[in-house]
Amino acid sequence: MVTQAQSPNIYLLVPIALMAALLGTAVIRGPNLVSPAGMGAAIIVAAPLILATYSLMVLAVAGRGTIDLAVGPLLAFINVVVVKLSTSGILISPIATFIVALGLGMLYQLAFALVVIYVRVQPIIVSLSGFLALTGINLVILKRPGGTAPSFMQDWGLGTTIFSPVLLILVLATAGWYLFTATTFYSNLKMTGYDERAAWTSGVKTEVVRIGAHLIAGVYVGLGAICYTALISSGDPTQGQNMTLTAVTALVLGGVALSGGRGGATGALLGAVTLWLIGYVLATFNFGAIQAFITQMIYGLILVASLLLTLLVPLIGRYISFVSPWSAFLVLGFVVIGIMLQVSTIGNYNEAGNLLVQQPLADRYFLVEPARTVDEGLAMTRVQVFALLTCVAAICFTVVARLMGSKAEKRRMGLFQYLFILSLLLALFIVIAFRPESAV
Amino acid sequence: MVDPNMPDTQTEKNFGHTKNNSERSSFAMLPIPQSRFVIWLNIALSLVVATIGFGVGFGEGYLSAQQIILFGVITAALLFLLLNYVAIIFEDRAAAAESETEAETENRLKRSRLLWRSNIIVVLSMSALLALYLLLTASIEEFRSIKNLIAFLVLELILLFAFKVSGYFASGRSAFIGLIVLGALIVISAFSIEGFLSAPNVRAILLFAAFLGIASVGQTMVALLGGLDLSIPFVIGAANIALLSLITAGVPSYVAFGFILVLGGIVGFLNGLISYRLQGQALMVTLGTGFAVAGFTQIMTSIGSKFAGNVFGVVPGWLSNLAAMNGRFFGMKFPPTIVIWIIIAIVMIVGLRMTSWGRNLYALGGNRGAAKLLGISELKYWVACYVISGVFAALTGALLLGWSGGAFIGVGDPYLFTTLAAVVIGGTSLLGGNGGYGFTVIGVLVLQVLTSFLLGIGLQYEWQQFIFGLLILPMVALYGRSPHIRATV
Repeated sequence: MVTQAQSPNIYLLVPIALMAALLGTAVIRGPNLVSPAGMGAAIIVAAPLILATYSLMVLAVAGRGTIDLAVGPLLAFINVVVVKLSTSGILISPIATFIVALGLGMLYQLAFALVVIYVRVQPIIVSLSGFLALTGINLVILKRPGGTAPSFMQDWGLGTTIFSPVLLILVLATAGWYLFTATTFYSNLKMTGYDERAAWTSGVKTEVVRIGAHLIAGVYVGLGAICYTALISSGDPTQGQNMTLTAVTALVLGGVALSGGRGGATGALLGAVTLWLIGYVLATFNFGAIQAFITQMIYGLILVASLLLTLLVPLIGRYISFVSPWSAFLVLGFVVIGIMLQVSTIGNYNEAGNLLVQQPLADRYFLVEPARTVDEGLAMTRVQVFALLTCVAAICFTVVARLMGSKAEKRRMGLFQYLFILSLLLALFIVIAFRPESAV
Repeated sequence: MVDPNMPDTQTEKNFGHTKNNSERSSFAMLPIPQSRFVIWLNIALSLVVATIGFGVGFGEGYLSAQQIILFGVITAALLFLLLNYVAIIFEDRAAAAESETEAETENRLKRSRLLWRSNIIVVLSMSALLALYLLLTASIEEFRSIKNLIAFLVLELILLFAFKVSGYFASGRSAFIGLIVLGALIVISAFSIEGFLSAPNVRAILLFAAFLGIASVGQTMVALLGGLDLSIPFVIGAANIALLSLITAGVPSYVAFGFILVLGGIVGFLNGLISYRLQGQALMVTLGTGFAVAGFTQIMTSIGSKFAGNVFGVVPGWLSNLAAMNGRFFGMKFPPTIVIWIIIAIVMIVGLRMTSWGRNLYALGGNRGAAKLLGISELKYWVACYVISGVFAALTGALLLGWSGGAFIGVGDPYLFTTLAAVVIGGTSLLGGNGGYGFTVIGVLVLQVLTSFLLGIGLQYEWQQFIFGLLILPMVALYGRSPHIRATV
């Protein structure tokens, strides 16, 4: 009898399913997304939200119901300060900019932590206080949107390529979190968040843990502010409130427990991307003048619905314990990437098919032209070779991985699934970035 | 550890004291130290100072010699007396320390340490304020005025009061502090702002306090149960535009007004129902419903309208009279909204204190489990609180329509956190079970008077917000601190 252990990450099922559905819709509705420019723009637009959500996530994991309502105003504050300094010519070099941005974020969060620990006021009140104070001071520093970002950022926000510095920041931030999860500090943090009294009695220095969590959150806010500055290439003191509301929604969507102790970069990332996708999909429908209201309403409904879904998570976990979030991620990721490949290549490879209607059925419905035997033997285009090789490689890889997994008697394949998805993503990027000349 | 020799030493010390005193009394009234050296030192010091005085006095040139000599002698004599007096105190203390036992020393040290520790915050904050005042006075020319000096002294007094007197109030400490702050704010504003206590200004303060107060009714009720309602600003905005669009569509204005209140109640009902199982996340739930309501209302009002999001129409006269600045209440020159607020406040305060419904609410907020055992339905009270919150938010929105005369969805935005701030500053705990609407009234008044004060001294909205933000923390820190984790294990 095999014991069916429930995955601890069952809460990720909801955001994964939601994101797959949305990504599919997004790609079909707006095929522009699957192109270097589309992807690049998407990454740059979503990056500040993702990083702000990370920041919220760290604090949520630290417990005591810490939701830093001030995350948006803080982000805007750093943005405004950086822009103000760079406009007046003080802040030019990238290193100084990063130091200022991260330093401000960490300084604010350190103050937050110290107040929570030593003054012992509820975090929600501290964050409320910070929200009001920072919103006010932002408008004092910069009356209206304007100014110029540091010159080295000018071309970051163009979003013409996928591999921009913003992506690098995002990848580093995410990887940093996963590295962090390997440390003892992380387990202490989770324990503190889950039950602070138990952690304290078992000798965890909860004060130090809390300060550490806040400092990490400060770093994420600083990075988010840099991405935001790069995105809008100027300063904007007014968007703090919106950013807070969106980031909090993303946090909830990603299944991070607001009561503490549960959550991670995966959930936060999924939540933020899902939320961004909702906006993208809604933007592809043309509602005319009431577009903004519909977006607002849908955001609200999604927030409520995802909160209600968190009630269902234990139920889901009880009845479908055989579905691990990772396998769901694998299957849905496969489907979505298939859709993306189809959408991105349909214009390129189907022209011939569309012209020759009398071709066999298989020709019309395959993604790439099937290889045809001609007189000189088996002739294939470069695209076909590539597609074939990719498929073979992927299948081989999966089989090998599966074998290794079963040999190692592991219940889950863990890393291999990531690698599998990664190879598929790589294939997608190659298809997008290096369109074969035969297709044109 | 009782020292058997202790009584002996005690008497000896006492005896020593009397001996000293008797010796000294022979020198009539003059306090003279025992050490010869100190006497001579004092004489020398007095003479030196007197000589300096002589020199300066003659150097000035326009004073008569008699005056200089008179003042010189008086200075020397007074200084000599004063120095002697100080020297005696030190001598006495040294003598006492010599004859003191170890236990007594410890006791005295402990007492002084305790005194220091219990007053450290007062001393530190008062001296910080003093430093700030001196810094400002030294650096800013315009700051040196009698008004500012009075304001500074009042602030110092408040600090002293807040720390020393509030300890005697077992409950309602926050109300006491709030009242002191309110009083001080009014005093300072009246001194430093021209026409602060004039009728129009007081009317304006009370009117805006009424809007905020009515909007905070629901927030207080919900906070008493340990929840939060962030949908209030969105409901206010939605009610604002929905009411005008209903009236423009031809619905009789009284009916529309009632209908809007019902709609607000329905939104509150949904809020309560959805957040009941998600009480920890009430903040998020209400935010979500608020978004949805605001979006939905805007969609509904812009159907068939060329101007999306904007509603144009004429506000009926009775509604304008109800809330506008120039409104009349039975011929008296203030808008009826203020009276409405006062009635609501009285009903709320009395209702929460006297009725069983109110007591049950406190019971639930204080301890869910115990209240449940008493047969109090948690669901019923939770939902009812949110319904009340929705109704009052809608009422605020409708009144604001009368005040401004034009509909605008963003009219509720300032109330997103100010309702919360008013509740928190008043002293209602967000954890539930503690506080009441009376506290919120104080919080609302503090916020409004402060706003008026800041406006009066010429600060813009953004500075006001900044100061509000910084104000909340110390206010809450004075009474709303949670226990150290050590105390909860």
